[in-house]
Amino acid sequence: MNNSIYVTLSKQAGLSKELNSVANNIANASTAGYRREGFLFSEYIQRLEPQDRSVSQANVGGHFFDATPGALARTGGTFDVAIDGEGYFVVETPRGERLTRQGSFMLDAEGLLVTPDGDRVLGEGGSPVTIPAEAANITVAPDGTIAADGAPVGKLGLVTVDATALAREGDNLFRATQEYETVEFPKLRQGFVEASNVNAVIEVSRLIEVQRAYELNQQLMKDEDERIAKTVEAMRRR
Amino acid sequence: MQALRIAATGMDAQQKRVEVVSNNIANMSTTAYSARRAEFADLHYQQLRAPGAISSSTGLIAPAGIELGLGVRTSAISVNVEQGSLRQTGGDLDIAIEGRGYFEVTLPSGDPAFTRDGTFKKTGEGLIVNSEGYPLSGDITIPQDARSITINNNGEVFAYFDGQTAGQQIGTLQVSIFVNEKGLEAIGGNLFRETQASGSPIPGEPGIDGRGAIRQGFLEESSVDVVQQIADLIEAQRGYELNSKVISAADQMLGSTTQIR
Repeated sequence: MNNSIYVTLSKQAGLSKELNSVANNIANASTAGYRREGFLFSEYIQRLEPQDRSVSQANVGGHFFDATPGALARTGGTFDVAIDGEGYFVVETPRGERLTRQGSFMLDAEGLLVTPDGDRVLGEGGSPVTIPAEAANITVAPDGTIAADGAPVGKLGLVTVDATALAREGDNLFRATQEYETVEFPKLRQGFVEASNVNAVIEVSRLIEVQRAYELNQQLMKDEDERIAKTVEAMRRR
Repeated sequence: MQALRIAATGMDAQQKRVEVVSNNIANMSTTAYSARRAEFADLHYQQLRAPGAISSSTGLIAPAGIELGLGVRTSAISVNVEQGSLRQTGGDLDIAIEGRGYFEVTLPSGDPAFTRDGTFKKTGEGLIVNSEGYPLSGDITIPQDARSITINNNGEVFAYFDGQTAGQQIGTLQVSIFVNEKGLEAIGGNLFRETQASGSPIPGEPGIDGRGAIRQGFLEESSVDVVQQIADLIEAQRGYELNSKVISAADQMLGSTTQIR
Protein backbone atom coordinates (compact mmCIF):
# COMPACT_ATOMS: atom_id res chain seq x y z
CA MET A 1 0.00 0.00 0.00
CA ASN A 2 3.03 2.22 0.10
CA ASN A 3 3.64 1.87 -3.60
CA SER A 4 2.29 5.28 -4.51
CA ILE A 5 4.67 6.90 -2.03
CA TYR A 6 7.61 4.95 -3.45
CA VAL A 7 6.73 5.90 -7.01
CA THR A 8 6.53 9.56 -6.03
CA LEU A 9 9.76 9.25 -4.11
CA SER A 10 11.58 7.78 -7.10
CA LYS A 11 10.46 10.76 -9.14
CA GLN A 12 11.51 13.19 -6.42
CA ALA A 13 15.00 11.69 -6.22
CA GLY A 14 15.33 11.94 -9.99
CA LEU A 15 14.11 15.51 -10.05
CA SER A 16 16.60 16.53 -7.44
CA LYS A 17 19.40 15.06 -9.63
CA GLU A 18 17.93 16.88 -12.60
CA LEU A 19 18.02 20.12 -10.62
CA ASN A 20 21.70 19.50 -9.91
CA SER A 21 22.39 19.12 -13.59
CA VAL A 22 20.49 22.35 -14.37
CA ALA A 23 22.47 24.09 -11.65
CA ASN A 24 25.72 22.72 -13.08
CA ASN A 25 24.82 23.87 -16.58
CA ILE A 26 23.95 27.36 -15.41
CA ALA A 27 27.06 27.54 -13.24
CA ASN A 28 29.13 26.67 -16.30
CA ALA A 29 27.39 29.08 -18.66
CA SER A 30 30.66 31.02 -18.97
CA THR A 31 33.05 28.07 -19.07
CA ALA A 32 34.79 27.95 -22.44
CA GLY A 33 34.27 24.68 -24.27
CA TYR A 34 31.67 23.42 -21.78
CA ARG A 35 29.02 21.01 -23.01
CA ARG A 36 25.58 21.06 -21.42
CA GLU A 37 24.49 17.87 -19.75
CA GLY A 38 21.23 16.19 -18.91
CA PHE A 39 19.85 12.99 -17.48
CA LEU A 40 17.86 10.26 -19.09
CA PHE A 41 15.21 8.62 -16.98
CA SER A 42 14.23 5.03 -17.39
CA GLU A 43 11.45 2.92 -15.96
CA TYR A 44 11.92 0.40 -13.26
CA ILE A 45 8.98 -1.97 -13.30
CA GLN A 46 7.94 -3.76 -10.19
CA ARG A 47 5.67 -6.76 -10.58
CA LEU A 48 2.78 -7.03 -8.22
CA GLU A 49 0.21 -9.73 -7.61
CA PRO A 50 -1.22 -11.24 -10.85
CA GLN A 51 -4.54 -9.46 -10.47
CA ASP A 52 -2.89 -6.04 -10.05
CA ARG A 53 -1.18 -3.95 -12.64
CA SER A 54 2.52 -3.57 -12.17
CA VAL A 55 4.07 -0.36 -10.84
CA SER A 56 6.58 1.65 -12.76
CA GLN A 57 9.12 3.79 -10.98
CA ALA A 58 11.39 6.41 -12.46
CA ASN A 59 15.10 5.83 -12.27
CA VAL A 60 18.03 7.82 -13.57
CA GLY A 61 19.27 5.51 -16.29
CA GLY A 62 21.90 7.56 -17.99
CA HIS A 63 23.57 10.82 -18.57
CA PHE A 64 24.13 12.56 -21.82
CA PHE A 65 25.88 15.63 -22.94
CA ASP A 66 24.92 17.83 -25.78
CA ALA A 67 27.74 17.89 -28.34
CA THR A 68 26.35 20.85 -30.28
CA PRO A 69 29.20 23.33 -30.78
CA GLY A 70 28.97 26.53 -28.76
CA ALA A 71 29.21 29.98 -30.26
CA LEU A 72 32.67 31.26 -31.11
CA ALA A 73 33.59 34.32 -29.09
CA ARG A 74 36.34 36.59 -30.39
CA THR A 75 39.14 37.29 -27.95
CA GLY A 76 42.01 38.19 -30.26
CA GLY A 77 44.42 36.11 -28.17
CA THR A 78 47.31 34.52 -30.07
CA PHE A 79 46.91 31.15 -28.41
CA ASP A 80 43.13 31.16 -28.23
CA VAL A 81 42.15 28.48 -30.70
CA ALA A 82 38.54 27.43 -31.13
CA ILE A 83 37.45 24.23 -32.82
CA ASP A 84 34.99 24.95 -35.59
CA GLY A 85 33.10 21.70 -35.91
CA GLU A 86 33.88 18.31 -34.44
CA GLY A 87 36.94 17.14 -32.59
CA TYR A 88 38.91 17.50 -29.38
CA PHE A 89 42.42 18.62 -28.53
CA VAL A 90 44.59 16.03 -26.81
CA VAL A 91 46.37 17.19 -23.65
CA GLU A 92 48.87 15.32 -21.51
CA THR A 93 47.95 15.32 -17.83
CA PRO A 94 49.75 13.56 -14.97
CA ARG A 95 46.92 10.99 -15.14
CA GLY A 96 47.32 10.27 -18.83
CA GLU A 97 46.01 11.71 -22.07
CA ARG A 98 42.78 13.64 -21.87
CA LEU A 99 40.58 15.43 -24.40
CA THR A 100 39.34 18.99 -24.22
CA ARG A 101 37.49 21.51 -26.33
CA GLN A 102 38.75 24.49 -24.40
CA GLY A 103 41.32 26.10 -26.65
CA SER A 104 42.54 29.00 -24.55
CA PHE A 105 46.15 27.94 -24.34
CA MET A 106 49.27 29.65 -23.08
CA LEU A 107 52.97 28.94 -22.97
CA ASP A 108 54.94 27.61 -20.06
CA ALA A 109 58.43 28.77 -19.09
CA GLU A 110 60.00 26.42 -21.66
CA GLY A 111 57.84 27.67 -24.49
CA LEU A 112 55.59 24.60 -24.63
CA LEU A 113 51.93 25.08 -25.41
CA VAL A 114 49.88 24.32 -22.25
CA THR A 115 46.33 24.65 -20.92
CA PRO A 116 45.54 27.14 -18.10
CA ASP A 117 46.12 24.24 -15.68
CA GLY A 118 49.60 23.61 -17.08
CA ASP A 119 48.84 20.40 -18.97
CA ARG A 120 50.78 20.11 -22.22
CA VAL A 121 48.85 20.27 -25.45
CA LEU A 122 49.83 17.47 -27.80
CA GLY A 123 50.15 18.32 -31.46
CA GLU A 124 49.59 16.07 -34.39
CA GLY A 125 51.59 12.91 -33.87
CA GLY A 126 51.36 13.14 -30.10
CA SER A 127 54.32 15.35 -29.26
CA PRO A 128 54.14 18.65 -27.35
CA VAL A 129 54.30 21.87 -29.36
CA THR A 130 57.20 24.25 -28.69
CA ILE A 131 56.99 27.89 -29.68
CA PRO A 132 60.33 29.69 -30.12
CA ALA A 133 60.75 32.58 -27.69
CA GLU A 134 62.01 35.01 -30.32
CA ALA A 135 58.94 34.66 -32.52
CA ALA A 136 57.21 38.00 -32.88
CA ASN A 137 54.20 36.80 -34.80
CA ILE A 138 52.50 33.45 -34.24
CA THR A 139 49.74 32.31 -36.52
CA VAL A 140 47.60 29.21 -36.33
CA ALA A 141 46.25 28.19 -39.71
CA PRO A 142 42.75 26.72 -39.97
CA ASP A 143 44.26 23.26 -40.48
CA GLY A 144 46.24 23.57 -37.23
CA THR A 145 49.66 24.48 -38.61
CA ILE A 146 51.43 26.83 -36.20
CA ALA A 147 53.81 29.25 -37.85
CA ALA A 148 56.29 31.52 -36.08
CA ASP A 149 57.16 34.50 -38.28
CA GLY A 150 56.07 32.53 -41.31
CA ALA A 151 58.02 29.34 -40.60
CA PRO A 152 56.02 26.29 -39.48
CA VAL A 153 56.97 25.11 -35.98
CA GLY A 154 54.30 22.51 -35.29
CA LYS A 155 50.78 21.41 -35.95
CA LEU A 156 47.78 21.11 -33.67
CA GLY A 157 45.85 17.92 -34.16
CA LEU A 158 42.28 17.02 -33.35
CA VAL A 159 40.82 13.66 -32.48
CA THR A 160 37.29 12.41 -32.50
CA VAL A 161 35.63 9.76 -30.41
CA ASP A 162 32.13 8.46 -29.87
CA ALA A 163 30.37 10.80 -27.40
CA THR A 164 29.20 7.89 -25.26
CA ALA A 165 32.80 6.84 -24.65
CA LEU A 166 33.66 10.10 -22.93
CA ALA A 167 33.72 10.53 -19.17
CA ARG A 168 33.89 13.99 -17.70
CA GLU A 169 36.71 14.74 -15.35
CA GLY A 170 36.22 18.42 -14.60
CA ASP A 171 38.77 21.08 -15.57
CA ASN A 172 37.15 20.99 -19.03
CA LEU A 173 38.72 17.58 -19.59
CA PHE A 174 37.21 14.38 -20.89
CA ARG A 175 38.60 10.88 -20.48
CA ALA A 176 38.07 8.61 -23.45
CA THR A 177 37.21 5.03 -22.63
CA GLN A 178 37.99 3.84 -26.12
CA GLU A 179 40.58 4.55 -28.81
CA TYR A 180 40.16 7.82 -30.62
CA GLU A 181 40.68 8.63 -34.25
CA THR A 182 42.49 11.57 -35.75
CA VAL A 183 40.36 14.16 -37.51
CA GLU A 184 41.66 14.29 -41.05
CA PHE A 185 40.73 17.86 -41.84
CA PRO A 186 40.59 19.88 -38.62
CA LYS A 187 39.06 23.33 -38.72
CA LEU A 188 40.48 25.75 -36.19
CA ARG A 189 40.05 29.47 -35.63
CA GLN A 190 42.79 31.50 -34.03
CA GLY A 191 41.76 34.39 -31.78
CA PHE A 192 38.47 32.80 -30.80
CA VAL A 193 37.30 30.66 -27.92
CA GLU A 194 34.30 28.41 -28.03
CA ALA A 195 31.70 29.62 -25.57
CA SER A 196 29.74 27.20 -23.43
CA ASN A 197 26.83 25.68 -25.35
CA VAL A 198 24.47 26.20 -22.43
CA ASN A 199 21.30 27.91 -23.58
CA ALA A 200 19.90 30.05 -20.75
CA VAL A 201 16.32 29.84 -22.05
CA ILE A 202 16.35 26.04 -22.14
CA GLU A 203 17.95 25.79 -18.72
CA VAL A 204 15.47 28.18 -17.12
CA SER A 205 12.53 26.35 -18.63
CA ARG A 206 14.00 23.07 -17.36
CA LEU A 207 14.37 24.71 -13.96
CA ILE A 208 10.72 25.74 -13.86
CA GLU A 209 9.65 22.31 -15.04
CA VAL A 210 11.72 20.57 -12.38
CA GLN A 211 10.49 22.83 -9.65
CA ARG A 212 6.82 22.48 -10.56
CA ALA A 213 7.05 18.71 -11.03
CA TYR A 214 8.73 18.49 -7.65
CA GLU A 215 5.93 20.46 -6.02
CA LEU A 216 3.33 18.36 -7.80
CA ASN A 217 4.91 15.22 -6.37
CA GLN A 218 5.08 16.87 -3.00
CA GLN A 219 1.36 17.53 -3.17
CA LEU A 220 0.70 13.95 -4.22
CA MET A 221 2.68 12.68 -1.27
CA LYS A 222 0.80 14.98 1.04
CA ASP A 223 -2.55 13.79 -0.32
CA GLU A 224 -1.44 10.19 0.05
CA ASP A 225 -0.37 10.90 3.60
CA GLU A 226 -3.80 12.36 4.36
CA ARG A 227 -5.53 9.43 2.70
CA ILE A 228 -3.65 6.95 4.89
CA ALA A 229 -4.34 9.08 7.96
CA LYS A 230 -8.05 9.10 7.14
CA THR A 231 -8.05 5.35 6.65
CA VAL A 232 -6.41 4.86 10.00
CA GLU A 233 -8.86 7.27 11.57
CA ALA A 234 -11.86 5.47 10.01
CA MET A 235 -10.61 2.12 11.24
CA ARG A 236 -10.09 3.46 14.72
CA ARG A 237 -13.70 4.68 14.94
CA ARG A 238 -15.22 1.32 14.14
CA MET B 1 20.50 19.57 -2.00
CA GLN B 2 23.68 20.02 -4.05
CA ALA B 3 22.04 22.43 -6.45
CA LEU B 4 22.37 25.18 -3.86
CA ARG B 5 26.11 24.73 -3.65
CA ILE B 6 26.52 24.28 -7.40
CA ALA B 7 24.68 27.53 -8.06
CA ALA B 8 26.83 29.21 -5.42
CA THR B 9 30.00 28.23 -7.32
CA GLY B 10 28.36 29.73 -10.41
CA MET B 11 27.62 32.98 -8.63
CA ASP B 12 31.16 33.08 -7.31
CA ALA B 13 32.54 32.63 -10.84
CA GLN B 14 30.34 35.37 -12.29
CA GLN B 15 31.33 37.65 -9.44
CA LYS B 16 35.02 37.07 -10.29
CA ARG B 17 34.20 37.95 -13.85
CA VAL B 18 32.57 41.24 -12.81
CA GLU B 19 35.62 42.01 -10.68
CA VAL B 20 37.96 41.39 -13.61
CA VAL B 21 35.78 43.50 -15.92
CA SER B 22 35.60 46.34 -13.43
CA ASN B 23 39.38 46.31 -13.06
CA ASN B 24 39.73 46.41 -16.85
CA ILE B 25 37.33 49.34 -17.17
CA ALA B 26 39.00 51.15 -14.30
CA ASN B 27 42.28 50.80 -16.19
CA MET B 28 40.97 51.87 -19.57
CA SER B 29 43.28 54.91 -19.50
CA THR B 30 46.27 53.30 -17.80
CA THR B 31 49.39 53.45 -19.94
CA ALA B 32 50.26 50.07 -21.49
CA TYR B 33 47.59 48.17 -19.56
CA SER B 34 46.49 44.86 -21.06
CA ALA B 35 42.99 43.58 -20.43
CA ARG B 36 42.60 40.57 -18.13
CA ARG B 37 40.16 37.77 -18.75
CA ALA B 38 38.73 35.30 -16.29
CA GLU B 39 38.72 31.73 -17.52
CA PHE B 40 36.59 29.00 -16.03
CA ALA B 41 36.68 25.24 -15.81
CA ASP B 42 34.08 22.77 -14.62
CA LEU B 43 34.65 21.16 -11.23
CA HIS B 44 35.05 17.44 -10.91
CA TYR B 45 32.22 15.02 -11.50
CA GLN B 46 30.62 12.60 -9.13
CA GLN B 47 30.51 9.33 -11.04
CA LEU B 48 27.29 7.62 -10.03
CA ARG B 49 27.90 5.12 -12.79
CA ALA B 50 31.02 5.37 -14.91
CA PRO B 51 30.50 5.30 -18.68
CA GLY B 52 31.45 1.91 -20.06
CA ALA B 53 30.32 0.09 -16.91
CA ILE B 54 29.25 -3.46 -17.53
CA SER B 55 25.51 -3.71 -17.07
CA SER B 56 25.04 -7.46 -17.25
CA SER B 57 26.95 -10.70 -16.95
CA THR B 58 26.84 -11.13 -20.72
CA GLY B 59 29.17 -8.18 -21.01
CA LEU B 60 26.67 -5.60 -22.16
CA ILE B 61 28.05 -2.15 -21.63
CA ALA B 62 25.94 0.72 -20.41
CA PRO B 63 26.13 3.24 -23.24
CA ALA B 64 26.12 6.26 -20.97
CA GLY B 65 27.24 6.80 -17.44
CA ILE B 66 25.66 8.93 -14.77
CA GLU B 67 27.87 11.81 -13.89
CA LEU B 68 26.87 14.59 -11.59
CA GLY B 69 28.72 17.84 -12.16
CA LEU B 70 29.57 19.83 -9.09
CA GLY B 71 29.89 23.35 -10.44
CA VAL B 72 32.53 25.67 -11.76
CA ARG B 73 35.78 27.25 -10.66
CA THR B 74 38.03 29.99 -11.97
CA SER B 75 40.94 28.29 -13.71
CA ALA B 76 42.93 31.38 -14.66
CA ILE B 77 42.79 35.11 -14.96
CA SER B 78 44.98 35.57 -17.94
CA VAL B 79 46.42 38.72 -19.41
CA ASN B 80 45.34 39.26 -22.98
CA VAL B 81 48.70 40.49 -24.22
CA GLU B 82 47.84 42.85 -27.00
CA GLN B 83 49.57 45.85 -28.44
CA GLY B 84 47.77 49.01 -27.44
CA SER B 85 47.65 51.89 -29.88
CA LEU B 86 50.49 54.40 -29.68
CA ARG B 87 49.62 57.93 -28.67
CA GLN B 88 51.95 60.74 -29.65
CA THR B 89 53.01 62.89 -26.70
CA GLY B 90 56.20 64.42 -28.05
CA GLY B 91 57.91 63.94 -24.69
CA ASP B 92 61.65 63.23 -24.83
CA LEU B 93 61.40 60.43 -22.35
CA ASP B 94 58.03 59.04 -23.37
CA ILE B 95 59.01 55.75 -24.92
CA ALA B 96 56.73 53.08 -26.32
CA ILE B 97 57.61 49.55 -27.36
CA GLU B 98 56.09 48.63 -30.67
CA GLY B 99 55.89 44.86 -30.47
CA ARG B 100 56.84 42.46 -27.71
CA GLY B 101 59.00 43.26 -24.75
CA TYR B 102 59.35 45.02 -21.43
CA PHE B 103 61.64 47.67 -19.96
CA GLU B 104 63.54 46.58 -16.90
CA VAL B 105 63.59 48.83 -13.85
CA THR B 106 65.25 48.23 -10.50
CA LEU B 107 63.05 48.16 -7.43
CA PRO B 108 64.29 49.75 -4.17
CA SER B 109 64.92 46.19 -2.94
CA GLY B 110 67.37 45.71 -5.78
CA ASP B 111 65.16 43.19 -7.59
CA PRO B 112 64.32 43.75 -11.23
CA ALA B 113 60.76 44.53 -12.33
CA PHE B 114 59.40 44.79 -15.83
CA THR B 115 57.08 47.31 -17.39
CA ARG B 116 55.72 48.42 -20.72
CA ASP B 117 54.85 51.81 -19.31
CA GLY B 118 57.39 54.09 -20.94
CA THR B 119 56.65 57.35 -19.09
CA PHE B 120 60.18 57.95 -17.93
CA LYS B 121 61.49 61.04 -16.17
CA LYS B 122 64.92 62.14 -15.12
CA THR B 123 66.17 62.83 -11.65
CA GLY B 124 68.16 65.90 -10.56
CA GLU B 125 71.30 63.94 -11.38
CA GLY B 126 70.05 63.13 -14.85
CA LEU B 127 69.32 59.43 -14.19
CA ILE B 128 66.39 58.01 -16.21
CA VAL B 129 63.70 56.72 -13.81
CA ASN B 130 60.07 55.68 -14.13
CA SER B 131 57.13 57.55 -12.57
CA GLU B 132 57.78 55.85 -9.22
CA GLY B 133 61.45 56.84 -9.29
CA TYR B 134 62.78 53.35 -10.00
CA PRO B 135 65.84 53.60 -12.25
CA LEU B 136 65.72 52.14 -15.74
CA SER B 137 68.28 49.35 -16.05
CA GLY B 138 71.43 50.32 -17.84
CA ASP B 139 71.81 53.36 -15.56
CA ILE B 140 71.65 55.88 -18.34
CA THR B 141 72.52 59.36 -17.10
CA ILE B 142 71.69 62.37 -19.20
CA PRO B 143 74.46 65.00 -18.93
CA GLN B 144 73.35 68.25 -17.29
CA ASP B 145 74.35 70.38 -20.25
CA ALA B 146 72.63 68.24 -22.89
CA ARG B 147 70.35 70.31 -25.13
CA SER B 148 68.17 67.41 -26.15
CA ILE B 149 68.21 63.66 -26.37
CA THR B 150 66.95 61.30 -29.01
CA ILE B 151 66.37 57.58 -28.80
CA ASN B 152 66.37 55.64 -32.04
CA ASN B 153 64.36 52.54 -32.87
CA ASN B 154 67.13 50.26 -31.69
CA GLY B 155 67.29 51.89 -28.28
CA GLU B 156 70.47 53.88 -28.72
CA VAL B 157 70.31 57.08 -26.68
CA PHE B 158 72.04 60.16 -28.11
CA ALA B 159 72.61 63.46 -26.35
CA TYR B 160 73.03 66.72 -28.25
CA PHE B 161 75.08 69.58 -26.88
CA ASP B 162 75.26 73.24 -27.78
CA GLY B 163 77.90 73.95 -30.36
CA GLN B 164 78.09 70.37 -31.60
CA THR B 165 76.22 69.09 -34.60
CA ALA B 166 76.79 65.36 -34.05
CA GLY B 167 75.07 63.63 -31.17
CA GLN B 168 76.97 61.67 -28.59
CA GLN B 169 75.81 58.19 -27.63
CA ILE B 170 75.29 58.03 -23.87
CA GLY B 171 73.80 54.58 -23.54
CA THR B 172 71.54 51.88 -24.96
CA LEU B 173 68.08 50.90 -23.87
CA GLN B 174 67.42 47.19 -23.65
CA VAL B 175 64.15 45.39 -23.96
CA SER B 176 63.45 42.00 -22.35
CA ILE B 177 61.07 39.40 -23.68
CA PHE B 178 59.68 36.36 -21.91
CA VAL B 179 58.80 32.93 -23.18
CA ASN B 180 55.43 33.14 -21.44
CA GLU B 181 54.37 36.72 -20.87
CA LYS B 182 51.08 35.57 -19.33
CA GLY B 183 53.10 34.02 -16.51
CA LEU B 184 54.42 37.37 -15.25
CA GLU B 185 53.22 38.43 -11.84
CA ALA B 186 51.61 41.87 -11.79
CA ILE B 187 52.72 43.82 -8.74
CA GLY B 188 50.83 47.04 -9.40
CA GLY B 189 52.23 50.33 -10.62
CA ASN B 190 52.27 48.87 -14.17
CA LEU B 191 55.09 46.60 -13.02
CA PHE B 192 55.55 42.88 -13.42
CA ARG B 193 57.88 40.44 -11.76
CA GLU B 194 59.36 37.34 -13.36
CA THR B 195 58.08 33.99 -12.07
CA GLN B 196 58.85 30.36 -12.72
CA ALA B 197 55.91 30.31 -15.11
CA SER B 198 57.15 33.22 -17.20
CA GLY B 199 60.70 31.96 -17.59
CA SER B 200 63.78 34.14 -17.33
CA PRO B 201 63.90 37.47 -19.15
CA ILE B 202 65.73 37.48 -22.46
CA PRO B 203 67.22 40.97 -22.69
CA GLY B 204 68.62 42.39 -25.88
CA GLU B 205 68.62 45.06 -28.50
CA PRO B 206 65.14 46.32 -29.40
CA GLY B 207 63.86 45.66 -32.88
CA ILE B 208 65.54 42.30 -33.45
CA ASP B 209 64.94 38.65 -32.47
CA GLY B 210 61.26 39.19 -31.72
CA ARG B 211 61.83 42.25 -29.52
CA GLY B 212 59.72 45.27 -30.34
CA ALA B 213 61.18 48.52 -31.63
CA ILE B 214 61.45 51.70 -29.56
CA ARG B 215 59.34 54.74 -30.43
CA GLN B 216 60.43 57.95 -28.76
CA GLY B 217 57.70 60.52 -28.13
CA PHE B 218 54.92 57.96 -27.95
CA LEU B 219 53.10 56.16 -25.18
CA GLU B 220 51.24 52.89 -25.45
CA GLU B 221 47.60 53.25 -24.56
CA SER B 222 45.59 50.74 -22.60
CA SER B 223 44.43 47.92 -24.88
CA VAL B 224 41.09 47.57 -23.09
CA ASP B 225 38.21 47.37 -25.54
CA VAL B 226 35.46 49.03 -23.54
CA VAL B 227 32.63 47.76 -25.75
CA GLN B 228 33.77 44.19 -25.23
CA GLN B 229 34.08 44.78 -21.49
CA ILE B 230 30.53 46.11 -21.29
CA ALA B 231 29.25 43.11 -23.24
CA ASP B 232 31.13 40.90 -20.78
CA LEU B 233 29.64 42.81 -17.86
CA ILE B 234 26.10 42.30 -19.15
CA GLU B 235 26.77 38.59 -19.66
CA ALA B 236 28.24 38.23 -16.19
CA GLN B 237 25.35 40.06 -14.56
CA ARG B 238 22.76 37.91 -16.31
CA GLY B 239 24.76 34.81 -15.46
CA TYR B 240 24.73 35.85 -11.84
CA GLU B 241 20.96 36.32 -11.92
CA LEU B 242 20.45 32.94 -13.56
CA ASN B 243 22.45 31.25 -10.82
CA SER B 244 20.48 33.06 -8.16
CA LYS B 245 17.28 31.78 -9.84
CA VAL B 246 18.57 28.25 -9.35
CA ILE B 247 19.22 28.98 -5.69
CA SER B 248 15.71 30.31 -5.16
CA ALA B 249 14.20 27.34 -7.03
CA ALA B 250 16.17 24.88 -4.92
CA ASP B 251 15.18 26.80 -1.84
CA GLN B 252 11.49 26.63 -2.74
CA MET B 253 11.77 22.91 -3.43
CA LEU B 254 13.35 22.38 -0.03
CA GLY B 255 10.65 24.57 1.46
CA SER B 256 7.87 22.49 -0.06
CA THR B 257 9.57 19.34 1.23
CA THR B 258 9.46 20.60 4.77
CA GLN B 259 5.80 21.52 4.36
CA ILE B 260 4.67 17.94 3.68
CA ARG B 261 4.02 17.39 7.31
